[in-house]
Amino acid sequence: MRRRVVVTGIGLISPHGDSPGAVFDALMAGRSAVARWSSGGAPPALAARAAFDSTHWFTRLQLAGVDRVSQIAVAAAELARADAGLDALDERSGIYVGTGMGGAAAIDEAFARYAESGRVPPLTVPAFMPNAPAAHIAMRAKVHGPVLTYSIACASSAVAIAEAAKAVALGEVERVLAGGSEALLVPGAIRAWQALQTLASPESEDPSRACRPFAADRTGLVLGEGAAFLLLEPFEAAKARGARVYAEFAGSGVSCDATHLTKPDVAGQVRALVAALRASGLSPADIGYCNAHGTATRAGDVVECEALAQVWGDAIGALAVSSTKSMHGHLLGAAGALEAAITVLALERRSLPPNMHCGPQDPACRVALVQEPHAEAPQLRAAISNSFAFGGTNAVLAFRRCD
Amino acid sequence: MSTLEELKQLIHKTFDIDAATLKADAPLEEYGLDSLSLAELLFAIEEHFNVDLPDSRSGVNTLAGLAALIDDLRTPKAA
Repeated sequence: MRRRVVVTGIGLISPHGDSPGAVFDALMAGRSAVARWSSGGAPPALAARAAFDSTHWFTRLQLAGVDRVSQIAVAAAELARADAGLDALDERSGIYVGTGMGGAAAIDEAFARYAESGRVPPLTVPAFMPNAPAAHIAMRAKVHGPVLTYSIACASSAVAIAEAAKAVALGEVERVLAGGSEALLVPGAIRAWQALQTLASPESEDPSRACRPFAADRTGLVLGEGAAFLLLEPFEAAKARGARVYAEFAGSGVSCDATHLTKPDVAGQVRALVAALRASGLSPADIGYCNAHGTATRAGDVVECEALAQVWGDAIGALAVSSTKSMHGHLLGAAGALEAAITVLALERRSLPPNMHCGPQDPACRVALVQEPHAEAPQLRAAISNSFAFGGTNAVLAFRRCD
Repeated sequence: MSTLEELKQLIHKTFDIDAATLKADAPLEEYGLDSLSLAELLFAIEEHFNVDLPDSRSGVNTLAGLAALIDDLRTPKAA
């Protein structure tokens, strides 16, 4: 028998800060965290950096071989555990982490030093290995159950949450920290993204408005960094210990386009959306809000809107859609987790974060965008969060209110 | 500055361990260094002192031992 799974904790190290309430308030107000980024001789870029004070979490000795991606993962996971009112986790707990790149700073430094002197720091491998964040969280939280890493590009942490929720529902684990971490704002990684020609134009007069999902004049995505974790547990267990319940994890859908490595595909996204609705027992009319993947690339936004339109049909006008990437940028492997947290908070507060910086909407993106800050949704009962990855994997998470 | 003192300063700079608490003859594990942080320290020593530590450093797990090894490596060898 499947158990109901609920979200009882949220932990964030994000471009808008580390307090879930304050992060949500900033998003509701339409505040963008995107700013100009520069480093050494690298070409100008835009990015949404997450402020993080490592000394609050680690001694210098503890930081040996611990990349920033692991540091912020540990912090966000600890914050989620504490937010859930739990002092400790145990052998019946698990950790499910999504990350796209792993320790980018360690790789960047190693390659730079190698080019310069031929010498590479000895802890480069343990620092950059993609499962390091999960391992560091496990050591810190003393979690002895499944400690797993999912690297599925931009769907990494959405899939991690889906898999974690499934494990809780099936009784394999009692409590999970599920989320993701990404920290690749280093010269080499940014130049690689620039070379791919997917980034928003850095020429924009106001960098904070550079990411314009679904807008006619959108120019591409803006890289962000951060970590986000949810504490998931069975509904009955949460009730028994009197825990605050943000929302219920209703279900998920995962599919793969299997058509092209980077070009999104309507049919593949439709399959994930339909699967999420089926798994959660929800119909399109039940879903009041969609936190879109919406990266603001020319191709991606149109395909996502077409997929939503195919599944929602005539009801598409009643689905409020926003891409909060317009404000926090694209956290890649951590995007699904941050956006799941935002979706959960939207449900809890019955408020819809806006899709900022969209002046004239692209006529090819026919969805009902949340255009203005501070939108209330008193009837909101269920919501979805979309994450569509390079590699073709699509993940849709569905949440519902618990009342 | 003696090599030992220089080593203490390097450890302070690398790991933020108070140099005054570091004893010449205590095993480095006593200060919380494990195999990973020790590897990082040895790399930092090589960079700082411009030496190439031999792969076999058997028995060298104290600051005094490391300082002696560094001094030995920095002494010009007769041809």
